[in-house]
Amino acid sequence: MIVKICVGSSCHLKGSYDIIEAMKKIIAEHGAENKVELRASFCLGNCKNGVTLTADKPDERMLHNVSPDNVREVFEREILPYLE
Amino acid sequence: MTEYYLESGYTSLNKKNEELCGDKVESIYQDGKMTFVLADGMGSGVKANILATLTSKILCTMVSNEIDMTDCIETILGSLPVCKERGVAYSTFTVVHVDTFGKGCLIEFDNPQAILMRDGKCLDLPRTESKILGKTVYNTELNLRENDVIVMFSDGVIHAGIGMNLNFGWDREEVKEHLECIISPTMSARCVACELATACNQLYHNLPGDDTTVAALKLRKNMRADLMVGLPVNKESDSVCVANFLSHDGKKIVCGGTSSQIVARYLGTEVSASLDFPDPRVPPIGFINGIDLVTEGVLTLRRLLELSEAYLSPKDLTPKYFTAKDGASELAQILLEDATIIDFYIGQGVNEAHNGLPIDITMKLKLVESIAHNLKKLGKHVTLHYV
Repeated sequence: MIVKICVGSSCHLKGSYDIIEAMKKIIAEHGAENKVELRASFCLGNCKNGVTLTADKPDERMLHNVSPDNVREVFEREILPYLE
Repeated sequence: MTEYYLESGYTSLNKKNEELCGDKVESIYQDGKMTFVLADGMGSGVKANILATLTSKILCTMVSNEIDMTDCIETILGSLPVCKERGVAYSTFTVVHVDTFGKGCLIEFDNPQAILMRDGKCLDLPRTESKILGKTVYNTELNLRENDVIVMFSDGVIHAGIGMNLNFGWDREEVKEHLECIISPTMSARCVACELATACNQLYHNLPGDDTTVAALKLRKNMRADLMVGLPVNKESDSVCVANFLSHDGKKIVCGGTSSQIVARYLGTEVSASLDFPDPRVPPIGFINGIDLVTEGVLTLRRLLELSEAYLSPKDLTPKYFTAKDGASELAQILLEDATIIDFYIGQGVNEAHNGLPIDITMKLKLVESIAHNLKKLGKHVTLHYV
């Protein structure tokens, strides 16, 4: 699965950097490095609902309002179940 | 004959506990000629500062107007206030007056002898002595080549370390050796001056015993950079604007997420963003095939403004070359160090992505204009195109 994290101006201010670092750690904890490909993206056009992530499985979708506080929860709810 | 760009820069260290520097650098660029003066006033503090300011200003104005050296020196002698204690009026100086083809002259009075750096080697200039109004003045005819740097300095440089690490100060031959070690051919004049002044400051253990100034003048090739930031007001003019932006040779830079999408679309490719954060304060850079540098907008530019302020300050000793890999440092290396001709394409359109967010278009414009202002102060040819 490809997960993109928005690093546009607005999302950067809302904590993209911390989310990327946290996400790398959580992926490692689950030993899922080969199943999730983490990428950055410039502005995804959803600044109001940032930080915005996209995931391409089970279908292309956006995950909104991700923060350093809820990143683990989002991963376990929205990403982990769809890993092959 | 090739026409070059004349780049100048200097760094000054104040004598410890002094508010004012007794060395002064002045420059004027007019009619394709640069006049660059370094004056060192007698004593230190206010008195020295006044002497140096008067001397540099008078010389710079007169020499740039091609007035004979005898008249210049006469004017200075007649204008400088006489020191009550010492009964003399005195300021040393070095003047360079050179055109964009590298031809001109160098005149020295009582400052340490200037150094010419050519192909990584330090050379002495073949100067001839003459007497003007009883003063010994040295004159050198200049015929500079591409990437030649003239390094001028006040006696604070050769006195560096006296009574500390070095008994008799920093020997001129050792200064030359040091320059040959630290200066690379890609460094700007500003960078060269800062590197040498930093070495002096270290020899002084951060407490200079004398005002210390290094001024450098470099003859170099012009290098162009075009920078696009923000969206055009009319969506229909997107492609015209991008075509314009891409129409020149030189480095291409795009700042901002939405702007980079417009450019990528025009080029029939996509933007990808890097996941690396070399500096957590600055969002990651991106990549577009065919564009030299792609960065985020406002936050990166704000950091660039900070870097440009430090770069401009003659007292700032942070190195003037940028090796960090964050977007702002990469921008700084291209715009502050490398480029000499810079065109900004500033879109004033409102970014829908920023609706309701504290990212204001006026703030962004202000930011770009402040950066452009600083680049102009550095002597670069800057043009702003509003689209």
